Amino acid sequence: MVKTYKKSRFKEISSKIFEPIALGLLALLFIIPSITVINLEPITKNLKQFTDVLGVTTSSEIIVDLVGGTHEILSSEKVYREDDGNYTYQAVLTKRESDFYSKPILEIQNRTDEEKSITFMGTTINPTQSDIGLIINDQSYRLQKANGESEDVEILLRPQSKYIVYLTVESLIGVQFSEDFEMEIIIQQ
Amino acid sequence: MSILLKKALKLSILPAILMIAGKFVGIMALIISYNLQFEVGNEINGIFSTQIFLSDEVSTLFVNSISDLSMILILGIPTIYMIIRTTIFQDTMNNPRTIAKIVKFNILKWVTSNNTTFLKIFIWTTFLLISSIIVISNAINGQTYIWVGITSGILSLLSIWGLIKTFEIETDKVYPNNSKHSYY
Repeated sequence: MVKTYKKSRFKEISSKIFEPIALGLLALLFIIPSITVINLEPITKNLKQFTDVLGVTTSSEIIVDLVGGTHEILSSEKVYREDDGNYTYQAVLTKRESDFYSKPILEIQNRTDEEKSITFMGTTINPTQSDIGLIINDQSYRLQKANGESEDVEILLRPQSKYIVYLTVESLIGVQFSEDFEMEIIIQQ
Repeated sequence: MSILLKKALKLSILPAILMIAGKFVGIMALIISYNLQFEVGNEINGIFSTQIFLSDEVSTLFVNSISDLSMILILGIPTIYMIIRTTIFQDTMNNPRTIAKIVKFNILKWVTSNNTTFLKIFIWTTFLLISSIIVISNAINGQTYIWVGITSGILSLLSIWGLIKTFEIETDKVYPNNSKHSYY
């Protein structure tokens, strides 16, 4: 009698413990494949061209690549290489609450043996009460003020170095519509 | 732990694996068959952050579209199959005409047993719906061909309709429709 009671009591307690875990597992079974599929989507990138047999690249370029990934307010990221050697970055800033947002957007590599200057010019089509800027090497730069006024950002790239560029968006008020953001990346020859 | 939860966990494993496999195999098959230049990277932080890089925009759009389609078809075909089989099976019990048609098409063996539950169809439809949302949002953002987005939308709408139909069949078992039965 006591044994049966203990057994049923154990069953009751264990079900109380395992049920929330099982529910969490079930949710994960839906979430994990979704995130994996989103991250598996191919991204366009300038793939490295190794031409030297000794493993040393002979390329002498500034390479701008998309970091990719997902973000709550940044979507449809694209980067194009123009005929003149400069790049254009495009993205859509979706509707958002008033907050500060940041995302790694570009990876810039200076494969040359000399210091190179690079200029960023980025704006949205309409001013939306959002401060838009960049963070490169823990240094913040402002691209567009809340009133829509834009500024150029010029940085120096050290030889044989790699930089991750973050795009920052600080919205003072909630924005209820999507807007296109475009940034020109001009490489000084 | 409740039986329903145990069963749901068990039934969710296969579509979860197929969802990832459909996308991944689709990408790899296209890369290999079209001999595309690619790179596997991990440039974003967090778990499940493996990324596939392709060298040009046209190949990226093509590979993404066809791999999305393969994922949708891998999840959609079994879901539609299960819905059709369950619907025909239930219809044979209520309608002698259906039995006659089934005998005519020589598919009686196919519908003599039904091991497909409502829960199974519900889980597969949910996975199909999640995949369709991803594909449709890709199509809207221009990362997938529009026709792939439309196909996945139609497939998910069909399976939702089938799911509702299966739900009606299941509830009819518990609460039979009075107008169909004459007890007097």
